[in-house]
Amino acid sequence: MIIPEMLEGPQKVTWCTGCGNFGILAALKKAIIELDEPLHNIVLTSGIGCSSKIPHYVGGINSLHTLHGRPIPFATGVHLANTDLKVIVHTGDGDCLAEGLGHFIHAARRNVNLAVLIHNNGVNGLTKGQYSPSAPRGYISNTSPPPPGAPMDPVNPTALAIIAGATYVARGFSGDQKGLVVLMKEAITHEGFAVVDILQPCVTWNRQLTWKYYNEHTYSLQENGHDVTNRFQAMEKAMENGDRYPVGVFYRSSSPHLAAGLALPEKGNLKNHTNDLKDVQKIIDDLML
Amino acid sequence: MDISFNIGGEAGQGIDTIGDLLTQVFVQAGFYTFTIKDFESRIRGGYNFTQIRVSDRPVHTSVDQIDMIIALSRDAVVNQRERLADGGVIIFDDSVEFDDLEACHYPAPLEKIAKEVGGDARMMNAAALGAVLSILNFPFALAQEALTGIFERKGEKIVASNVNVAKTLYDKTKENFTGTCKYNLETLESGPSKDKLLITGNRALALGAIAANLKWISSYPMSPSTSLFQDVISYSQQFKIGALQTEDEISSLAMAIGASYAGARSMVTTSGGGFSLMVEALGFAAMAEVPVVIYNAQRPGPSTGLPTRTEQADLLFMGFASQGEFPRIMLAPKDPLESFDVATRAFNLAEKYQVPVMILGDQYLADSVMNVPRIDVSTITVDRGKLAKPGSNPEYKRYLFIDDGVSPRAFPGDEGKTVVSAGNVHREDGHITEDANIRNLMVQKFMNKIPKILADLNPPQLYGDKTAETTLMTWGSTWGAANEAVEILAGRGKSINQLHFCDIFPLRTEKLRDVFSKSKRVIAVEQNVTSQFAALARMETGLGVSQHINKYDGRAMTPGWIIGKLKEAGIV
Repeated sequence: MIIPEMLEGPQKVTWCTGCGNFGILAALKKAIIELDEPLHNIVLTSGIGCSSKIPHYVGGINSLHTLHGRPIPFATGVHLANTDLKVIVHTGDGDCLAEGLGHFIHAARRNVNLAVLIHNNGVNGLTKGQYSPSAPRGYISNTSPPPPGAPMDPVNPTALAIIAGATYVARGFSGDQKGLVVLMKEAITHEGFAVVDILQPCVTWNRQLTWKYYNEHTYSLQENGHDVTNRFQAMEKAMENGDRYPVGVFYRSSSPHLAAGLALPEKGNLKNHTNDLKDVQKIIDDLML
Repeated sequence: MDISFNIGGEAGQGIDTIGDLLTQVFVQAGFYTFTIKDFESRIRGGYNFTQIRVSDRPVHTSVDQIDMIIALSRDAVVNQRERLADGGVIIFDDSVEFDDLEACHYPAPLEKIAKEVGGDARMMNAAALGAVLSILNFPFALAQEALTGIFERKGEKIVASNVNVAKTLYDKTKENFTGTCKYNLETLESGPSKDKLLITGNRALALGAIAANLKWISSYPMSPSTSLFQDVISYSQQFKIGALQTEDEISSLAMAIGASYAGARSMVTTSGGGFSLMVEALGFAAMAEVPVVIYNAQRPGPSTGLPTRTEQADLLFMGFASQGEFPRIMLAPKDPLESFDVATRAFNLAEKYQVPVMILGDQYLADSVMNVPRIDVSTITVDRGKLAKPGSNPEYKRYLFIDDGVSPRAFPGDEGKTVVSAGNVHREDGHITEDANIRNLMVQKFMNKIPKILADLNPPQLYGDKTAETTLMTWGSTWGAANEAVEILAGRGKSINQLHFCDIFPLRTEKLRDVFSKSKRVIAVEQNVTSQFAALARMETGLGVSQHINKYDGRAMTPGWIIGKLKEAGIV
């Protein structure tokens, strides 16, 4: 059994007071406790940004804190080298949807068995408030052209994930702890590429996407009779990007995930597998004239 | 005996199959062969050639003069004419439109006989072989034996058709060929070579990697590295090797590092352009001390450069790529046989020192084929370096401060240990920090690895007269051309030797200093324009070479070319 003390953070949290990441951290810990998976089998990977510091705030868990935009490829390698591991990716909108967008689409297409949790606040927080790929059109920041603010529409991570082939696509809200824990648990246990787009206000930089805004503009998919098995309905809901944000599961399906298509050992993992030198010798001898 | 063949034509015409057959026949008959491929970046058409050198002495380089050309297109009849040796012959199919016949030209009914006798135009390679062997007066019995050996796996019928086609052309050529050939192999029995393993640099690297227990490879296709990646994939099911063609090279190296962090021996294959994209992950591997092997089959740059040709111009780029300072290892095999050895050493070095190891090949090494002795894998050992003791240890620290800088590794999934890694400066437990003192200790930890790495690397080899006045300094695949140049010149009484490096970074300098002190002049011979290795040597020792010989046209270096350059410079 996992108790909260086991997950006590090795480091003092550096997020701003009131940051949306706190809700995500609390939900993650709760999800890990409720899943009761042996801790040594969990790996947290992350990119760069406020979101990606999360591995340092959870104790007793393996982690790989990687490069900006790249946590998904790193996590793919970890997962395929040892498919017994539960590999969770923490990434931000600046991380996953800017430099990492190509990797995100390809990982969805491969249906690689990862849980990708996007801390989405519409702003590059750690670099002090530039507009991110998920900032709304017209968002004013210190790098958006003045006026009219960000002169483009935001990236839509849930719609892209559904189109690209992700088999679990959901949206959570950092302010809805109960709902977020359920989504995280489902994403982590889902066999395939699972994405949870998590709305989380940046209280320091984002004056538009605030706690108040999200509380007023989110609604539950599941309480409104959404069919999670219908990909077109899921797309329709995912396209609602603006005035109202549906929260909950958009889409869930089952299809073979990447590991099933590669030449991995049937039992055990790559770490403990050995190439038989006798077979190598045979290849060499067969090549001889 | 030392004969060079050139088989030229358009891409897709079967140059390779004729070349393979010719090589196999001579290898079966006991000769040494060395083959290079010279081709354009296109799928069909153009002008490409394979050049095969056959000798009764071991050969490691191609030469400028060609004794026999097998031309499958008009371009091929014309293009290499000036390289034809006196008494050489150009054989081409009589359907090729070419009228300026000289004594050296021999139009032969290759395709016609292939169809008539073999029932298949593809047997043109056997036809061409028959014509070639006939002109050389190569005893047909030897050829028949070799052809039987080559085709017996495909059944008696295929053996018989190929032998018949070859024999028909062999006999016809005896009647029709009116020219002369400087070689007459009539009395040939079998040659001295027992080396029956025909292998390219890339394939030797692939097999070496598999023997070294490669468990993960992720790459994006890029000439001239791709055949290594394809070879590993072709064996991946048999050995259970995780392999993935990624969306880009950024992802390739990131995945390989992820897999290595989780305990799998990992590598990526690419060329310079792909390596450019890998640079940020290279720095990550260094900071997180995750072992990984990176193969760069170099080609001329910058940018797309000459995609299918050869150069050694990425040395300094790879030696200093990435922000920050950290230890890395660079190895440059000289030929296919050494490639196998380098691949197995690369993985052990990467894991022993928990650093990125880079193998620098080039198109010349990647695609050249030679016959080597049987490689015996029984002596290969896998050294995974320091591993944490099994069992629970809540105090385990992945980056424990330790004298030699190498902390014992554990892997996610190991019960009772937490493995934390990051690209930020981190504490011993892997969690990030900005503490100045820890930063210093971490940097020193990296640097403390270097003396042990240096002691583990091989010193350079000195070939020839140890007291010679002139030294050619080389690294990597240009060894063969320079080595033969030295041999030829020494044979003419010139005082010359060769100092050659396979292990190039960090640079062992003892022997280098020694040779610089004894030699009157050291000449850098490199396949790049700025003598990058000489620059590295000067940086590490303060010692400068007297002269440079540089080739940067993307074509293979030859002994004749080197000797020509030495003559121009008034050195020999």
